[in-house]
Amino acid sequence: MIAALANPHVDFLALSPEIALTATIVLVLVADLILPERSTWQTSRIASLGTLVSLAFVAVLENHSAIHGLFGGAYAVDRYALALKGFFLVATYVTILISVDYIGEGDYYEGEFYFLLLCSVLGMTVMASARDLISLFVALETISIPTYVLAGFRKHDRRSNEAAIKYYLIGAISSAVMLYGMSMIFGLTGETKLSAIALKVSALPDSKVLAVAIFLSLLGFAFKVSAVPFHWWAPDTYEGAPTPVTAFLSVASKAGGFVAMLNIIFFGFGGKAGMWWLVIWVLAGLSMTLGNLTALKQTNIVRMLAYSSVAQGGFMLVPFAAYGIAQSHHQTDVARSAFQSVIVYLLVYGAMNLGAFACIIAVARRTKSGEITSFSGLFQHSPVITVLMSIFLASLAGIPPFAGWFAKFTMFRAAINAGGWAGVTIAIVAGVNSVIAAFYYLNVVRNMWFRPAADDAQPVQIPGALRAALVVCTGLVVAVGVYPSIFGDIADVATKTFG
Amino acid sequence: MIALLSDQHASSELTEYYRQYLSVGVFVLASLVMVGAMLGVGYFLRPTRPQDQKYITYESGSDPFGTFGQQNVRYYVYALMFVIFDVEAVFVFPWALNADGASHGGLGWFGFIEIFVFVAILVAGLAYLWRKRLLKWA
Repeated sequence: MIAALANPHVDFLALSPEIALTATIVLVLVADLILPERSTWQTSRIASLGTLVSLAFVAVLENHSAIHGLFGGAYAVDRYALALKGFFLVATYVTILISVDYIGEGDYYEGEFYFLLLCSVLGMTVMASARDLISLFVALETISIPTYVLAGFRKHDRRSNEAAIKYYLIGAISSAVMLYGMSMIFGLTGETKLSAIALKVSALPDSKVLAVAIFLSLLGFAFKVSAVPFHWWAPDTYEGAPTPVTAFLSVASKAGGFVAMLNIIFFGFGGKAGMWWLVIWVLAGLSMTLGNLTALKQTNIVRMLAYSSVAQGGFMLVPFAAYGIAQSHHQTDVARSAFQSVIVYLLVYGAMNLGAFACIIAVARRTKSGEITSFSGLFQHSPVITVLMSIFLASLAGIPPFAGWFAKFTMFRAAINAGGWAGVTIAIVAGVNSVIAAFYYLNVVRNMWFRPAADDAQPVQIPGALRAALVVCTGLVVAVGVYPSIFGDIADVATKTFG
Repeated sequence: MIALLSDQHASSELTEYYRQYLSVGVFVLASLVMVGAMLGVGYFLRPTRPQDQKYITYESGSDPFGTFGQQNVRYYVYALMFVIFDVEAVFVFPWALNADGASHGGLGWFGFIEIFVFVAILVAGLAYLWRKRLLKWA
């Protein structure tokens, strides 16, 4: 007989957000089977309610002072994890809001859409807590696999199929590369738990094998977060996928990759920062520069935002590099504030990018076009959406008083504080890139305000759900821009426990 | 031979690492020689009387048709279902062996409820297949 399995001690309260999500996933699937064809839109209601319930559990846990470590430390429910879970769930809620009308009006399978979306979100909430190579990998695959299907959700559109295939192949390759790196880490340390790896890795001498192992694990994530030169799948996938899925991919899914990177770098490779910061530094510089220069030439707004999200990913990598530089000089305070800056940037980027996509979906409902020229003269007949879109674009460009400036500010502060030639150079590169980025973001704004509209242009009607999504995003972008301490405090509390 | 080679340059750790692959090389070489020898001896010894029927693909007695086989996509659903229930068995058997009451060192009610939650989720998947008419061959 097999050795008896011990009855595991499971803290169900700590897992309640994930349990609520899993229950919702099953409920959505069953509801889709029971409901008649014309009322399958009800699944969106179940999905959004389930997301809110899960969010409520996160809030309950947040007020619980005890910090839970589960499964021998492989799974942690601390302030950091909870802050990110909250972010993922809010982003999902907004994604559902902007999807409802798009999915409802098109020829789509509705139940399956929300089912797959929530499966991916379940992976994200697990990712926020994963402190072990295996759970990290399982979470990343749970995030990715449903999104491969979602990218191809416009079944009869060749471009959507192309998007799905490209995304799938790249995802598979990057998983393989990452697993190879992880297996080498395991071979060197004999551990899968990140805390144990951190101890063993710090004690190891710098060797070529260790460098290759760390390099390969990071490379896998570079694919996931579409950092240059591993970005080329992103524009095609973003353009081909249904627009709400693109919004989800560019915000939540990308954030999932970044959180995986945060976990593995912060909890695992922090002690060997000298070996990897240069890699991240190069990736950050390339992503910003190439992403922005290519975005300049785009005529399709979704493609432009795709390249812009590559560039924004580069901006988010800057504090990673700053963290590495500071850590290799043993400046723990600077390193911690760089770590916070990544979280702040993620939260802000999520709000403003989702907002921009909500505006695009609202406008495209009438114009049926993704060209930037279709935004011409939008102000003349639809002033509200024009003002909102301008807010999100200005925020993406980093113009005060909208949230984007605060994200950029913490990013620059991290780079400058890290100091040395590397910190200053990357800050200068980021500065130049902010100016380039402002040019193409504001070009769209100019189109909306100053170009004449087509003669037969009709006002843009915004359905209720989309309106709610816009209110949430605009509220966050303006509030955080005026009182940056909202997100600043979240990031501060989230990292406090690590000291 | 391997022992002889591994005596030289024992100082470098990396070379030592690659030297371990030497046994893999020897293994590959040996297998090539063995397979080659067996097929080669057969080639020289056997009588050769070609007949058309001998070159037809063997398909368990029935006549083969078509050129190369493109599988029907419906098999894919069955393959997926098979994997799902295969994995279910992998989880259910160890549970069954430990299904004793908690006082006897088994999983008790906790395990009982857990396994039913697990099976219920799989059943939801099966219900989905059934409802979407994926179980019908049409």
